[in-house]
Amino acid sequence: MKNFSNTYIFLYISALVIFVAVVLSVVSIGLKPLREANVKAEKCQQILHAAGYHDVERKQSVELFSKVAEKMQKADNEEVYRIRCADGADGYAVRLDGKGLWGPIWGYAVLSGDGTTLKGVAFDHKSETPGLGAKITEEAFLKAFEGKKLYDKDGKFVSVRVLKAGTASEIANENRVDAISGATLTSKGVDAMFSNDLLNIKD
Amino acid sequence: MKKYLGPLSKDNPVLVQTLGVCSALAVTAQMKPAVVMALSVTVVCACSNLIISLMRNTIPPRVRIIVQLLVVSFFVILVDQVLQALLYDVSKMLSVFVGLIITNCIIMGRLEAFALSHKPLPSLVDGVMNGLGYGLVLVVVAFFRELLGSGTLWNHPVVPASWYAAGYMNNGLMILPPMALILVGVLIWAKGETRSS
Repeated sequence: MKNFSNTYIFLYISALVIFVAVVLSVVSIGLKPLREANVKAEKCQQILHAAGYHDVERKQSVELFSKVAEKMQKADNEEVYRIRCADGADGYAVRLDGKGLWGPIWGYAVLSGDGTTLKGVAFDHKSETPGLGAKITEEAFLKAFEGKKLYDKDGKFVSVRVLKAGTASEIANENRVDAISGATLTSKGVDAMFSNDLLNIKD
Repeated sequence: MKKYLGPLSKDNPVLVQTLGVCSALAVTAQMKPAVVMALSVTVVCACSNLIISLMRNTIPPRVRIIVQLLVVSFFVILVDQVLQALLYDVSKMLSVFVGLIITNCIIMGRLEAFALSHKPLPSLVDGVMNGLGYGLVLVVVAFFRELLGSGTLWNHPVVPASWYAAGYMNNGLMILPPMALILVGVLIWAKGETRSS
């Protein structure tokens, strides 16, 4: 076995690290436009889906989105879009952010023009468990939100609650959605997301 | 030639050496991520084997693990970036597991055991074969998990609707990691039985 001096080892490792760092930076910067385009297209597709535009290919979603939706200027930096839904009515798409079991969850809620009814929702997550928490992105769960009301009979703001199926509470059916069994914490995250992020949208 | 075919069966990295089991459990709920993971590991394993073999006479033994880690992470980050840019859906599906290729023992194991002491070309072949041997197990496990768990293959429904109407149900347990462990365990047992007889 050859003997290597300390100087050699030091220079060898330094050169290697610098080389790797430079190449990876160049690749990362080079591919950045493509990566960001993917993220943006996915976001457009999700909002469109919540607004009733089903079966939109991801490639066409950006173009369609720019046609039917426009970003609204909000003082508090909240992400809200005015959007023409698939049924022709006007609505608003509001960004929601929350905590899942393992990482962030987020989504968009599309409200009717008067801001009282949910027309549709879309959720996404970073690392929820497949088959349990990850079910929040599935059609069956999303469908349950359609047509739910943000206000109770007395006109009080209650948002839409995500509660364990069958639990008795004073929350009326039109204000609640069944949680996913086996995914209690992720469901609670969705619940909190609706309570917190829609609170400021009452205008 | 025969020794290079070892990883596919006789010396399979997952079934015989029980390396890389963690990721074999994680990405095998469906065929598509399993195949992509298999290809990614094969590419990383082959490339890092080749590079380490080319560098083998210049690497100071005292820091060889650091050098190996550096080369492996280089390729893993490269694969991750390319997936995010060109195969976004797949990269979302694999999520953290792409990064975890770095810790796949098969790759470091082959670098230590083979690439450091062999010429570049044999090292390249060895890397490809070990990646494929790993991929083979992934695909077999994913085939059963997707078929029995979701009733689909490569996202295409294969279980006829009339079966569901007659009361057939997908096995939800197949989707979850514990069933992957059981399936890999069964394969390891079957492999061990055929080897000892």
